[in-house]
Amino acid sequence: MFDFIIAGIEMPWMLLVLTGATVGMVGGFIGVGGGYMVTPALIVFGFPGYMASGIDMTHIAGKSVVATVRHRQLGNIDWVLGLAMVGGTMFGVEQGVRLLNWTKELGLSGIVLLTTSVIVMIGLFVYTQLETQAANKIAKKMEKSGEKVGREIITSKLPVFFQRISLYPIVRCRQARVVISMWVIVIVGAITGVLAGFLGVGGGFVRVPSMIYIVGASTHIAVGTDLLEIVVSGGYGALRHSMMGNVDFLAVLFMIVGAMFGAQFGSIATAYVRGPAIRYILSYSLILATVGAFLRLAYMLTGSKYAFLSFFAVVFTLGEMFFLCFFIMSLVYFALRYQKGKSVPDWIPSLVVKK
Amino acid sequence: MDKTKGAVKFIFWLSVSVGLFIYSYGTYTSGQMTSWYYYKAKTDGYAVHSTYFKKATKENPMMLQIGKFDKIEGLQAVEVKKGDRLPKNTDGIIEKKVIKEEKQAKLEDGMIKVMVPWEIKDAKGFKFKDTFKHKGIETNPWSGAWNVMMVLLIGLALGLTAEGFTDIMGLKLDKIVHH
Repeated sequence: MFDFIIAGIEMPWMLLVLTGATVGMVGGFIGVGGGYMVTPALIVFGFPGYMASGIDMTHIAGKSVVATVRHRQLGNIDWVLGLAMVGGTMFGVEQGVRLLNWTKELGLSGIVLLTTSVIVMIGLFVYTQLETQAANKIAKKMEKSGEKVGREIITSKLPVFFQRISLYPIVRCRQARVVISMWVIVIVGAITGVLAGFLGVGGGFVRVPSMIYIVGASTHIAVGTDLLEIVVSGGYGALRHSMMGNVDFLAVLFMIVGAMFGAQFGSIATAYVRGPAIRYILSYSLILATVGAFLRLAYMLTGSKYAFLSFFAVVFTLGEMFFLCFFIMSLVYFALRYQKGKSVPDWIPSLVVKK
Repeated sequence: MDKTKGAVKFIFWLSVSVGLFIYSYGTYTSGQMTSWYYYKAKTDGYAVHSTYFKKATKENPMMLQIGKFDKIEGLQAVEVKKGDRLPKNTDGIIEKKVIKEEKQAKLEDGMIKVMVPWEIKDAKGFKFKDTFKHKGIETNPWSGAWNVMMVLLIGLALGLTAEGFTDIMGLKLDKIVHH
């Protein structure tokens, strides 16, 4: 047991290292901070709600640096896209926080927050699942007919529509191979920022799909670029939380140490898979988080009467992290077998790359 | 050659990471970090160290001696006004309005009688333990900048340590061909 004197709780430090490692792996792989998983987990460990949010946001900033360093090495970062989006995101986050305060004044924040989370995440899950399944079918067909399958297959036509908007200035994102109006990038950043500020999370789970389906970046670049953006937006969030006294620095430190191992594995794992594999994991993380949020919403709407709803929400939130880590590790394991010419399940060849 | 470069990178950044970790751990456990962090009173009340009375109950309340102490040691409390610098070892403030309510703590014979040092509350549908810790304290705004700077530095050092490690192991991580 370790006495976290600032947070005011005693708990085993290994639990924080383990949490950091699991969320680091998922975050490094799908390009999200993982706030929607970590904050509830920290509350379950006994941290007060405000401390859980502060520790989570500060650890996300540090962890994202670890993952960004590796994604830079893999060539997954488009600096122009990332930096152009940061401005919009910061503006959006501030508006999201104001919106949250307004709903708080109306006495609705808890329920509105969870309802919004559930609607946004279900919408993203459905779209990502449908698109990824279509992309995966194409990859399977190409694989069967012996055609060379590229690293990325996206079937969505939305990026073409947004890339046609000719509002100046037009920017060229060399790494992402995208030419697009700067306003589209800034507005996407602002809208995802509003959601992030309102929901109290980093917003990666909204921004990664937006970069893929609106801007037209490949999944790997969306993941790396989003992590770069999280360094800036997470750093700002960490500053705000720290100034309000919501951060226990040693808890953050233990989580970052765990995240170093997890984020390395998650980031390196992206080199073994195709875009649809990352999008599948992203969509599963969304639906699992939705189930957790839905159970918490049901618990609150029933006046906190049914303790089993809160219990299952905890089980889902913690179980989700381990399930996703297991899924990522399985993909890497099968990718290595596939590369060595060993037998793999039928669903693997279309999701992993053969070097 | 690559492995030699990797080894140098690994050793250098590992040393930086370990150094930063030891420095942060040392300042935290020695109480230096909390004295930077806990800055001044945000409200009128009594500065306390809440760990000493966390086992108090309604049946077995704990009494805090009120006085002018430079450092809170044990069951002691120092009266503070909004804006006052806090005595050392303070980790929370029992607000005057809490004392007036007499539900969690009250004044008795010139001492503070603590009956309910913590309560179970709800946040985002999860239950958590709400204590006097960290209540009514204004944080030093510079500690925010310090936190962020340290976190980013530690993240960078750990990231480059890991990069050096994979270089030593000969794990070839080429840039991904995206298109």
